[in-house]
Amino acid sequence: MKLSMPEMPPATLLRALGTYNLLPAIVFLPTRRRCDQAAAEAAFMRRDPDVSRHDARRDFMQDFIKEHPEARGHRHWDTIIRGGVASHHAGHIPAWKLAIEKLMSAGLLDAIFATATVAAGVDFPARTVVLTGADARTGSGWRQLTASELQQMTGRAGRRGRDKVGFVVAAPGLHQNPQKIAELLQARPDPLISQFRATYSTLLNLLDAYGNFAQVREIAEKSFAHRDAARQITQLEQERAEKEAKIKTKLEQAACQIPISTALGLERLVSARTRLQEAKPQTRTEVLLRWLDESVQPGRVVGIGRSGKRLVLVTQRRDGNIVGTREDGRSASFPLQRIGRVYSPSYPLRDEATEEAFEEIHARGKELVLTEPRLRDVRDEESDALGLIEDMIESILPSNLSSELKVKCTRALWEVMGEAEAIQRTKRRRETLRDQVWQPFEQRAKVLASFGYLDFEAEKVTERGRWLADLHIDRPLIVGEALASGLFRTLDPARMAAVMAALSADEDRDYGEIELDDSLVSSLAEFEDTGFRVSSEEWKHGIEPAPELNFSAAGASARWAKGADWSTLVRETRAEEGDLFRMLSRTGEALLQIAGLREAHPEAARIAAVAAAAVLREPVR
Amino acid sequence: MRRGHDKGTRDKTRRGDRRKGKRTNAALHQSAPESLRPAPLGLAAQTREARKLLEGIGTPPAAPFKPDPFQLEALAALEFADVLVTAPTGSGKTWIAREEIRRLIGAAKRAWYTSPLKALTNSKYQEFSAEFGAERVGILTGDRKENPDAPLIVGTTEIYRNQLFDSLRSGHDVRADLVVLDEAHYLADEDRGHVWEEAIILSPPRIRLLLLSATIGNADEFARWIEEVRGVRCGVVTRPGDRPVPLKAALLLPDQRLLPLLNDTGRLNPEIVAMGDRAREERLTPLGGHRRRF
Repeated sequence: MKLSMPEMPPATLLRALGTYNLLPAIVFLPTRRRCDQAAAEAAFMRRDPDVSRHDARRDFMQDFIKEHPEARGHRHWDTIIRGGVASHHAGHIPAWKLAIEKLMSAGLLDAIFATATVAAGVDFPARTVVLTGADARTGSGWRQLTASELQQMTGRAGRRGRDKVGFVVAAPGLHQNPQKIAELLQARPDPLISQFRATYSTLLNLLDAYGNFAQVREIAEKSFAHRDAARQITQLEQERAEKEAKIKTKLEQAACQIPISTALGLERLVSARTRLQEAKPQTRTEVLLRWLDESVQPGRVVGIGRSGKRLVLVTQRRDGNIVGTREDGRSASFPLQRIGRVYSPSYPLRDEATEEAFEEIHARGKELVLTEPRLRDVRDEESDALGLIEDMIESILPSNLSSELKVKCTRALWEVMGEAEAIQRTKRRRETLRDQVWQPFEQRAKVLASFGYLDFEAEKVTERGRWLADLHIDRPLIVGEALASGLFRTLDPARMAAVMAALSADEDRDYGEIELDDSLVSSLAEFEDTGFRVSSEEWKHGIEPAPELNFSAAGASARWAKGADWSTLVRETRAEEGDLFRMLSRTGEALLQIAGLREAHPEAARIAAVAAAAVLREPVR
Repeated sequence: MRRGHDKGTRDKTRRGDRRKGKRTNAALHQSAPESLRPAPLGLAAQTREARKLLEGIGTPPAAPFKPDPFQLEALAALEFADVLVTAPTGSGKTWIAREEIRRLIGAAKRAWYTSPLKALTNSKYQEFSAEFGAERVGILTGDRKENPDAPLIVGTTEIYRNQLFDSLRSGHDVRADLVVLDEAHYLADEDRGHVWEEAIILSPPRIRLLLLSATIGNADEFARWIEEVRGVRCGVVTRPGDRPVPLKAALLLPDQRLLPLLNDTGRLNPEIVAMGDRAREERLTPLGGHRRRF
């Protein structure tokens, strides 16, 4: 139910709340800008008539800036002192937010205009919480608030020991929806849902600690996300035990002294036989296609058409579709069926090797061509295999049984095939479930192995993997590669701060367009190249590409590391202080991580330490 | 049929009300100075419903601090088991952690207090330093390291998890008898949630865990999981009635009338339902809301 109502000007809203004795209030608004505007407007329109409270706030703030000098002279200073209202959101530096929180707790503010982010963590109560809608702003539009989010927000209504009742007020808004708010208020809180995922850092640390994948896998299988799967696995195992017991009883009843494994073995033989029979090719075309499917691989030369005269070097296969390079160097794409001949050698897929490949085929094509199998041969081969399986089925029972017992046991064995099949099915299902958790770790292990940070076969972390494990940052591999390639050794501290900012900043946030000098651009380009190498390898193993580097953060960070003062930085970047603060603080932390690699990378560590000190200065602490 | 008739009657009355209300308000606002004085009679008397809604507003008489039963219950449970406390912010979860830490420090034991945000970590560091003495409290975040050998360490969950990694790799124990995971519902955070899971899974069973979480829908399931992976019992303590201060809900209209959002049975106020119906009708009617009455 949408109830579209004109939104009240902030001063009018506070006046209305005041007449009902519903202040102080936290008014949730969708954007930071709306919060700032509303606070400024309300402060201007409604001077707090109680001058003693002006003084109390001024005294409070004078005390506060002794400990937090970075809050001095804030652009919203007058708004809070004279208006008794404030805006509170992630665009402000932590010290300013702290000041607002403390003023509110001291009962010195009438209202705070805040974005929903305030709802997380900070203790920040008021008598009333005001909502102008049931939606939340996202990066790309709007979505409905969840029950937990709304309850976090309304959790701020009613101060323990200071209010007998708290209020949530749905205020007029263009997208107001009282019904939705009522629903969310009464909804059960959302369940906690696991977001467990594989990271390089966790994998390296655990593998280094345990020295084998099996134990790392055990940890992954303990995750809350895996709990459902684990429960299913337990259930599957129970089913399996039941079926095994059934088999055992049936065999005992038939007085057969044979182990369960014989029944399971028989089931495997039988199902292998079934598969062979089903897959047995019936026509020449089937045989041919199957053979082409196996033999046409990237790197091989094939002849197209019945005559097989037009040669193509296969570069890619997409199921039944082939992409390759023709002799004239142009690319060609065609279905598998059109191939008439396949040549045995496999050539490297480099431009310079292509010509040689074709030359060799022209010269020695006759001896290099693969022989296409004949239907009869294939059928004979498969008949052989079938015959072999039949024999094994025949001889699965111990040979020392009397012929009477042999008949009984054979019948008993065939009677338990249903159970045996169920056991195999549960086994496979169990493996699939276990693979779901492990696969992302295995993908990452392969990527790490391809860069030499771990030995996949030996299940060991290498020497360089050990220092990478100590690097606790978001994307350690790209930084590891930049360290290993020596890039970081060549940077001065400001450039290192810039490069790490480009990596640490939110991908799409704008930190202004501070000009980058040539040497910084070239370092960033080199770093980006390293990132691309890493991402390509990740992509090969099915890992989603990492976010792009943020060059505008790099510019801001370099300027700051070179000693610009805070107000200059804020002015030049036109970024919000809170965003700059977070970006630089994250950059500083990442630099400290590199500075910790004193043994493996002494030179880069030294530069990083200087850079960290240059970034982590007031107000970025 | 009957419903339609009812609605019509109600509409008429309400429209009359609204016009009157508006005039009253306008007059009132020209003269009303700002302050927190009780609502003027004209407004408050406007509807019985509004009066009832605003009943009980105000400040309770000062009372000496007395711990809630759920806080004591959690403390008692910590003697024997891990404990998951779920209650909304501001209902006194930190008190439980503080009392348990006080007891441990008194017994020359050690504790870790983790929180998801640097700002929270810093404020907890201040709070605990004032409470237990600066020499007994240390802080570890991504860019701050002070007094790291103190019996109480306040830090981000990531740093605690990293210490667990280091301890597994080096074989040295993590020096803690209790670990408090504040804001434990961060486990569901898309980016960082895995760190909480790793911290829970990798904490040696000899370390007691106290998890402080916002209200969640599956607290029992969460606790059972902790028991499974740690092999230690995990109790759940939930604040009954789930809010420290009762909550009332209202709808404020552009004419500044205040309506209760819900009626006594907890359903959406019928007057609001009627407003929604009218709004929908008007949206569906061509020519900007002229009803086809004529």
